Amino acid sequence: MSRPCSTIPGAFKAFKPTYTPSTQFPAARFLSRSSTRSFTSSRCSNAALRPPIIRQSASRRITSESSALHSRCAGQSSRRILGCTARPFSSTSARNKYKTVEEARSRYKLGPFSWPAGVLFLTSGIGLTMYFRYEKDRLARKRIAESTKGVGKPKVGGPFDLVDQDGNRFTHEDMHGKYALVYFGFTHCPDICPEELDKMAVMIDLVKQRCGNVLRPIFITCDPARDTPAVVKEYLKEFHPDIIGLTGTYENTKSVCKEYRVYFSTPPNVQPGQDYLVDHSIYFYLMDPEGDFVEAIGRNFTPEQAAKVMTDHIKDWRGPLDKD
Amino acid sequence: MGWFSSGSPKPAAPKPSSDGAFEAPNRSDRALCWEARDAFFECLDRNNILDSIKDKDAAERACGRLDQEFQRNCAGSWVQYFKKRRVVEYNKEQTLKRIESEGGEILPPALKR
Repeated sequence: MSRPCSTIPGAFKAFKPTYTPSTQFPAARFLSRSSTRSFTSSRCSNAALRPPIIRQSASRRITSESSALHSRCAGQSSRRILGCTARPFSSTSARNKYKTVEEARSRYKLGPFSWPAGVLFLTSGIGLTMYFRYEKDRLARKRIAESTKGVGKPKVGGPFDLVDQDGNRFTHEDMHGKYALVYFGFTHCPDICPEELDKMAVMIDLVKQRCGNVLRPIFITCDPARDTPAVVKEYLKEFHPDIIGLTGTYENTKSVCKEYRVYFSTPPNVQPGQDYLVDHSIYFYLMDPEGDFVEAIGRNFTPEQAAKVMTDHIKDWRGPLDKD
Repeated sequence: MGWFSSGSPKPAAPKPSSDGAFEAPNRSDRALCWEARDAFFECLDRNNILDSIKDKDAAERACGRLDQEFQRNCAGSWVQYFKKRRVVEYNKEQTLKRIESEGGEILPPALKR
């Protein structure tokens, strides 16, 4: 052979894309299996059997038409071929990097799809979906948490001046630094408050377990006439040691109830030992470390659901948080 | 209160706490009270009495002993409250059933987001 370009397998591969018009490539992909085979095999026989003169003319045409051929000729057999002396125009690697015909054939059959591509597609899809869901929930919580911040917003909570169960003064400033879970009740409550306080104890433990010591549970009495610090202390002992019990003068408790929008119905003048009930709203109020209202948790929440609401808000908090 | 007249047993006197105020019922006091309440209400159920304040005579005839037990274990205000609450709870249940039978749907207020 006078033209080694046409006989060596590497050179044949190099011819392949340019020898057939480029439009045949996508078409070959959609051909049936048998027709693809005959198409390739005929080209194989062409390459092997055609007289050198035809090949020569073909290669000459290719040399004039295709710039990619130059690079390939130069890369693969320039040392041996006289006709391929041109400098490569591009450094792009060869279009066909398959080692065998079978490999190339299976590539045609599958098209651009492969296992790694499929896995990548699925994982990125699932990942994005999860991320968007998480972000949606987070923004919804943020909206709730921030709906009470700023000017002109309905305000729940506010300054107060009360006394804790040990007789020490406790104001709204002592509440700052940690999240606070505020509950209003009274110690002579027949059934709802004890149930709610038992639930509160479970919530406190769940939040503590998940977020650390970032929650300050507070019980404020609506019945200051009967609930002295000693009574509150004795009462709360049975529920959770962390709960801070607050009481105070009639006026001060009335005003804190008003600030938290809690219905307050204690009669102003009661005799010691008098037997009466107090109506009050039954909500847990979650307050952020700056003392702003975040969310109210009603009776219909299980301790598990309530703890989730709280831990989600706590995890969203970016400001300073006291963990001691 | 008509039904809480003389002759009915008084609840045990509350203990004064360290600063003089009367202590609230503790966990075991509450459990005793709730137990007596449940026994009394069960008796009312058996005798088809809903409101033991309105149907005082019938309740006393049927479950007088349990009523006294209930009053001995609970503060007077609690007895009143539980008796009234029994009626309220029953009416609430009936209303919910009626709404559901009419095809309405009841959602807890704060759980929906």
